[in-house]
Amino acid sequence: MKIQERDAVNEILNEDDAVSLCSMFAGSESFGIDTRKIREVLGNRDLQRVPMAPAFIGGVVPYRGEVLTTVDFRALLGMGEHTDASCVLVLEDEDGEERFGLMVDAVGGVVTVNRNMLEANPCTLESRDKWLFDGAYKMETGLMVQLDPQKLRPSRLAEAGLFKHRLNGEQA
Amino acid sequence: MERCLTELETRPGDSAQLVGEIFRSVHTIKGTTGFLGFERLEKLAHVGEHLLGSLREGKLAVTSELISGLLRLLDGLRAILTLIEATGSEGARVGDEDSALIAELAALNEEGPAVTLAAGPAAASVSLQPAVPAAMAAGVAALSDKTLRIDVEVLNRMMNLVGELVLTRNQMLQSGVEATNFPELARRLDSVTADLRETVMQARMQPVGNLFGKFPRMVRDLAQTCGREVRIEFSGQETGLDKSLLEAIKDPLTHAVRNAVDHGIEAPPVRVMAGKPSEGCLKLRAFHQSGSVVIELADDGAGIAIERVLAKAIERGLVTQEQAADMTEREALQLIFLPGFSTAAAVTTVSGRGVGMDVVRANVEKVGGSVELESKVGVGTTLRLRVPLTLAIVPALVVRSGGQSFALPQSALVELVYVPKRDEERAVERMGAAELYRLRERLLPVVWLDRLLGLETRNGEDRHGFYMAVLEAEGCRYGLVVDDLLAPEEIVVKPLSAVLKEIGLFSGATVLGSGMLALILDIGATAARAGVKPVEEEIKEAEVVEGNTEGSEVSLLVFEARARERTALPLDVVERIESVPLTQVEYAGGRPMLQYRGELLTLRDEGGVLSELEAAQDRGEEVSVTVLICGGSGNGEMQRTGMVVRRVLDVSGGTLLDKAASSGEMELALVKEKLTMVHREFSVKAAPAWKEVA
Repeated sequence: MKIQERDAVNEILNEDDAVSLCSMFAGSESFGIDTRKIREVLGNRDLQRVPMAPAFIGGVVPYRGEVLTTVDFRALLGMGEHTDASCVLVLEDEDGEERFGLMVDAVGGVVTVNRNMLEANPCTLESRDKWLFDGAYKMETGLMVQLDPQKLRPSRLAEAGLFKHRLNGEQA
Repeated sequence: MERCLTELETRPGDSAQLVGEIFRSVHTIKGTTGFLGFERLEKLAHVGEHLLGSLREGKLAVTSELISGLLRLLDGLRAILTLIEATGSEGARVGDEDSALIAELAALNEEGPAVTLAAGPAAASVSLQPAVPAAMAAGVAALSDKTLRIDVEVLNRMMNLVGELVLTRNQMLQSGVEATNFPELARRLDSVTADLRETVMQARMQPVGNLFGKFPRMVRDLAQTCGREVRIEFSGQETGLDKSLLEAIKDPLTHAVRNAVDHGIEAPPVRVMAGKPSEGCLKLRAFHQSGSVVIELADDGAGIAIERVLAKAIERGLVTQEQAADMTEREALQLIFLPGFSTAAAVTTVSGRGVGMDVVRANVEKVGGSVELESKVGVGTTLRLRVPLTLAIVPALVVRSGGQSFALPQSALVELVYVPKRDEERAVERMGAAELYRLRERLLPVVWLDRLLGLETRNGEDRHGFYMAVLEAEGCRYGLVVDDLLAPEEIVVKPLSAVLKEIGLFSGATVLGSGMLALILDIGATAARAGVKPVEEEIKEAEVVEGNTEGSEVSLLVFEARARERTALPLDVVERIESVPLTQVEYAGGRPMLQYRGELLTLRDEGGVLSELEAAQDRGEEVSVTVLICGGSGNGEMQRTGMVVRRVLDVSGGTLLDKAASSGEMELALVKEKLTMVHREFSVKAAPAWKEVA
């Protein structure tokens, strides 16, 4: 994947406004997560699926002596299963207690953007997307949707109940 | 100190040394607190010290009031210490809770001499009831669980090993896979890992005595509330057990001890009537037995009356009248482990509320252990908790089903059955929607793992038949059908996240040697999910066993030891059939021995198989010996032996011929119309063991 928007750095005058995002892709859309929340990008991994698990659980991966529960981002968005190998990111919540994986189609690179470019969620968004998305950055190539890792935690997703009954086979 | 106090009560004879010990610890508390400026604590400790001083000088006699007072002093001290630990200060003096206690202790001190002279403990200032709030004392227990004392030497060794590990890793990274010394490095990594594992295990091992330590006090308090006289004896306190396991069996054991005092041991008058000493005895033993730790709790109380158990079970609708009539004593005892069962005549504050032995069993089985119960009316009850040494590493069998790997804990695995493709059709019989398999004339419920988990089932074309793992957990026995068996492996258990735990079928995950992940199946939960119920199962088995013992038909393992002769062993005495390389057979004093799972097995070689095989080995062939692992039979009285055989032929039912026709230690039997010798010493011993299997 090409690294996007390197020249965007030049536009940022005030350092406090700079945010580093890791870009990633699911389907045709691009998403970004604050790099400080990402522990590691594992690259393409084979996941061990867990039978009877909620649909948004992609499976489990071994990571440094732990077994990480991995959230299938495509399933969250209601997309069908990805045909190629998926890329796994390791995310950590603020106090570093719960680690989990996030499964996306591909990971781009680190993008530095200006905080001012962030636009809040539009009011027309579906409730499920409203939960997942945390505004979007206006990039030259299109919009990059910001994600809040806190909300992607498997336990939060299970509590939210929005994704319980979604079937894997459902097409976007 | 608590231990000393209860010990002091039970053995007033050699009190001097004990009182000295208590005195010293109270004195130390007092000294330190005075030094640190904890005024309240110091005051309390001072009164205690004073009282103990009198006791030490022999001015006071040991009475149970005195001990109660001292124990309350201890609670008071501890409560303040907890407060200090939690808040950093000893807290404001809430009311005059201490002063009441201080007054009580002072009163004890003054009245003491008079009491000794009067030789009958007047109710020494009972009006001053325990002032320490119970809530404070209750909070104490939780604190000590979070920290662990480790020998500095063990810690140093651990650090050395970690250093070694880092060095080896560096070398490996630098040299790469192609390097010539790679195998050597891998070997070193292997040995360092093994050493490190052993050391960490050692650090986690805690003596069982830590757990036993709190029982004397508990038993004493309980006995007083229930009006019993109970003495508690320990042995094997130094037996080591993994810290997490120690925690896990704490509650079941506490529950069992409580049960024993309340239900087991009779009230003193009843005991005297029965010709027993008025004081009941509770024996708590811990020891190692074949790779697991056994904790045995024996009381010399009334025992469990089978009639009452059965009556209760019928009353609760757990079994029918007819079923109850057919039950053996042992089966009836198993009923106690069913949920909602209590034989207590009256509900007391201590126990008898119907939550009981089922919780004990469930907790112990959760950590891969088992519970056994033995009871004789009028003589007593013995409860045996059997737990593995450690939780972190579990021997397991890895199976495949629906294209995924799963691990089954070996502790739940009874046996494996292979059903080849040609037998597939008629192997599984149907009764309504339920599928059953006939395993040695017992009907076994069949659970298909792939269907249960909603995995893709394989098509009939490429199937080669299936394997069935016969599993037993929480009283259920069932056959789990899987596509394929992979290797048995020692797996490291990793916990799953909360979301996945909620599924309720997996107890963890593990990384296999191949680097793949496998989920560990929770055998009990799987049974529950598939609808396998423990009760039906037990009754069903009971019926079948009944049928078997009536006739003289027995299941036999037929093999060839001497050339051209068929020999057989009752199937129950054979634990496993192992194939070991001949080089592993060692000799001691002219007798062949085999090291088998940490045990030394004497090998019996009646057909001279070993010498024949050795000849083959001398010719340069690589040979392995087939050994039947016999004996054990669970009660540990009989030592295991290995039987060297030429080859194993068959498993089938056979009819024993007339005993008169038997010669020496062998018996003749007809198996599938062929004459077969049956080892008699095993079959005789197996008879009781056979019943136990039920």
